[in-house]
Amino acid sequence: MPAPNAGFGGSNRADPALSGDGRWLASVIEQGGTSRVILQSQPGGALQPLRHLGPRTTPHGSPSLSWNGRYLAVLASAGERRLIAIEDRQRGSLLRLPLPGGSQPERLSLAPDASRLAVQLQQQGGRRVQLFSLRALLEPDRPGGIRELGGGLAP
Amino acid sequence: MGSGSWAGGWLRDPPWSASLGQPIGATVLLLAALAMGCQPMALQPLPAINGRIEQAGSSREPALGDRWLAVIVGQGGRERVELLDLERGLPVPLPGLNRADAQPVSVSVAAAGDRLALVRQLEGRTELVLYRRSVASLQLLRIQPEGVPRRVQLRADGRQLAVEVSRQGLWQIDLFQLP
Repeated sequence: MPAPNAGFGGSNRADPALSGDGRWLASVIEQGGTSRVILQSQPGGALQPLRHLGPRTTPHGSPSLSWNGRYLAVLASAGERRLIAIEDRQRGSLLRLPLPGGSQPERLSLAPDASRLAVQLQQQGGRRVQLFSLRALLEPDRPGGIRELGGGLAP
Repeated sequence: MGSGSWAGGWLRDPPWSASLGQPIGATVLLLAALAMGCQPMALQPLPAINGRIEQAGSSREPALGDRWLAVIVGQGGRERVELLDLERGLPVPLPGLNRADAQPVSVSVAAAGDRLALVRQLEGRTELVLYRRSVASLQLLRIQPEGVPRRVQLRADGRQLAVEVSRQGLWQIDLFQLP
């Protein structure tokens, strides 16, 4: 079933990313000669504002959402430089992450709980995936209702 | 979020910064960070698992579950899907998923690692399939209206997937509910 197009029916849409709880869909639209990430609520498809990932950080690519959609990770640009940007929608902040020297990021994947990030890098003519820990940078975003400590029966 | 994540300058507009003027506010924050023992933060590579990925050859199209990494690896001119258990640092078998005559295009894994979605080229067509590890079964997902799939992403709970589909020269996104 085609996803709601949010008014972008005549534009190319690529790189879909669903949050684990199914409430959010991120994708990249091609419009005005660049690629920009959009976020829609599900199932209606209403557009949700992104505080930091605006036109100045385009072109965007490879969005990835955490379980509840708190974090949206995306390949973004700062001038000529490609970088990884993670918008924390709960705090309204942006994390910009440096990459290993000389490598060009091409794809990324954020773990559902936001504990790890996998990045596909272009290096010396080849492609390779590298894995990074985010545990020191981000609070976890786990599915609601999971008890991490203690026990006992539910009421 | 860890208290030191902004200390390296990578976090812009922390929520409590609006009330502090610049550059005095930034100086105060930096001093506060140093007082708390915060160090500049950056991505922290995971060398053991990265070494394992490198051993497998070239790699692309990463997809993370909570303790799983699905990736397309290439060696000797042939590509295959590999699923790594990140806690054990080892690949797990995927019987029936990889075929010598198929070219994987995109892969995704559910958080629990029990389901994988795959776009692959086989016998001149591009198809979308769902793989269930517990029973090693492969299910072809028919795209309606017809189109050519490219990148796929499986929702973390494995109950829905989103896929790019090319129709009449336009890339669109389709959603599939999965039983």
